Amino acid sequence: MSLLGIAWRTIRQRLFTSLLTSLSLALGVALVVATLITAGVVKRAFASGGGLGYNMIVGAKGSPLQLVLNSVYLISRPIENISWDFYREFLPAAERPDGMAGRYAASVQTAVPICMGDYFRGYRVIGTNAAYFDRMTTVDGGPFRFAAGVNFRDDDFFGGVLGHEVARRLGLAVGDTFSPTHGADDGAVHDPFRVTGILARTDTPVDRGVYVNMEGFFLQEGHAKPLDGESASTTPAAQAQPAGGGGRPAPLPDAQREVTAVLVTTASIPGLPAELMAMGLKQAINEGRDGQAAEPVREIRQLLDLFVRPLELLLLLVTALVVIVSAIGILVSMVGSSLERSRDVAIMRALGARRSHVLATVLIEAVLLAGAGGLAGWVLGHLLVASIGPLITTNAGVSVGVLSGAPLAELLLVPALVLLAVGAALLPAIAAYRTDVARWLQGPG
Amino acid sequence: MDRPVIELVEVRKSFVMPGGEERIDVLDIPEFRLDAGAHCALEGHSGSGKSTLLNVISGIQRADSGRVVICGTDIGSLPEPARDRVRADRLGLVFQQFNLLPGFTALENVLVAMAFGSGRADRGRATDLLSAVGLGHRLHHKPAELSVGQQQRVAVARALANRPRIVLADEPTASVDAAHQQQVIDLLRTTCTEHGVALLVVTHAPEVAGQFPHRLRLEDFNRAARTPAR
Repeated sequence: MSLLGIAWRTIRQRLFTSLLTSLSLALGVALVVATLITAGVVKRAFASGGGLGYNMIVGAKGSPLQLVLNSVYLISRPIENISWDFYREFLPAAERPDGMAGRYAASVQTAVPICMGDYFRGYRVIGTNAAYFDRMTTVDGGPFRFAAGVNFRDDDFFGGVLGHEVARRLGLAVGDTFSPTHGADDGAVHDPFRVTGILARTDTPVDRGVYVNMEGFFLQEGHAKPLDGESASTTPAAQAQPAGGGGRPAPLPDAQREVTAVLVTTASIPGLPAELMAMGLKQAINEGRDGQAAEPVREIRQLLDLFVRPLELLLLLVTALVVIVSAIGILVSMVGSSLERSRDVAIMRALGARRSHVLATVLIEAVLLAGAGGLAGWVLGHLLVASIGPLITTNAGVSVGVLSGAPLAELLLVPALVLLAVGAALLPAIAAYRTDVARWLQGPG
Repeated sequence: MDRPVIELVEVRKSFVMPGGEERIDVLDIPEFRLDAGAHCALEGHSGSGKSTLLNVISGIQRADSGRVVICGTDIGSLPEPARDRVRADRLGLVFQQFNLLPGFTALENVLVAMAFGSGRADRGRATDLLSAVGLGHRLHHKPAELSVGQQQRVAVARALANRPRIVLADEPTASVDAAHQQQVIDLLRTTCTEHGVALLVVTHAPEVAGQFPHRLRLEDFNRAARTPAR
């Protein structure tokens, strides 16, 4: 029988106490793992949002952070809309009816409009044009890939593309139709759009978006900007002919159009750093009265610095405390059983066990308790994260599952716990090491 | 003449009394020998130093002076780990209270003893030993599930686990009812005879001591025991 076997048998001998000790460890570790994973996933999701193929967002004046959260992460509320004319200032001559380049066109490589405010079964609906998926890139710099189908065409007013998670969760496929609702899930039901494509997974907020052709979006009830003297609710939409209706409806007149934001990729000119170009454009926009420009990377970095990093430090502190409390739990458990242990130790010593054997057995016992508790807690933590995943998705806009992880912290947690447990077990181990065999085995005589 | 497996020469052992000012002599043995394969009963009154003698012979306690030679090795000069090794390899101990590990089965109690010896833990041998003492059908029972007599048998099997040269038994019948006393002594003597192991049984029961070919009183060779304990 090995020392490991002896330690394991000793644990089983005190099964109830051992289980309680491991359970308390497991619960502590589960809490830490769940917190670390959630914090890590949320942080990574926000950090990755800065590289969504555009480096600037132009929207209505207000909080730049709100503009970024709404446009990039599909959380929070839109600030307000910006005018169609203002949007056109970012377009090159070829894309404007007057044949003249917009005011900011020289500084812009790509400008994609987005219109927001509708929902489809809990997911945000984004009205945009085909350029979103044709000309912008994903986080890794490559083009958007479709898991099924293709991008909608600009002349297909009622075509739509679904993010990977939306299609998976709602069980929608290419060819299916869906009807967004106005303003909220219980708002007025709009005309149906047809799914032309489903995006491959990107692990970004794009996975949670329902993208529809902006032209169809404009034609929905309440989406047309009221003309002077009208209210939005009474403004008739153009004669829409939704998916399956055949023929193309007349587009909404420019005078009635608005967009929520414009996703801008600034141009890069040889000899001029891209940052300088972006800075100049941002300054020019912000000095005007039509809207504001925000840089997602900068806004998110500020958000991380202001809230996430201090929170991380707090989490690290909590983690350290949980691990220390867990180790103390092991110490209390082992010290509590030291009387019973002393007799066993004395017997083993009488059988020829060296003090080092005894010391090692107690430490192995601590490692087994901590290891079992730690691993159980790790699994429990992941299950916990999976179970609250939908809640995190709703509130933070990122998807987490049972396999989500915080690799470095998790890798360190259980070994750190085991090390601390060994440290805590040193006290009872040394007590066992010093057990007076003669006293414990003393008989008359 | 057989080479002695236990040889004590001018062995002294004393303890400090509680309070720390007075020492009490427990052992003062000019000479004691036990030959290989010999069976010997050692009697003595309470407090005569029987348990201390067994502790010194087994290396659990160190003599203050003198030579304690076990199977040719003076364990008095060895560091504690080496004494532990001698105890594990060459001595088998049977205690008055059996001292089985309560969380371990009969088989595991024997295997644990093997774990501390030089050889490997031999499950087959452990099973054979338990079968030899009539416990082949109780291998996986814990001490609490065994009768007093069965527990003592496990203790005997455990004492023989590492093929010792000597078995030291400290009052092996004191916790056993009269009906089982004889069984325990028979078991010890038969088993030790079969394995060619020297047996030193400490007892204060004359009917037990009377069955051994060699019968000694500790007071006869321990000068410290002649002085009444204070």
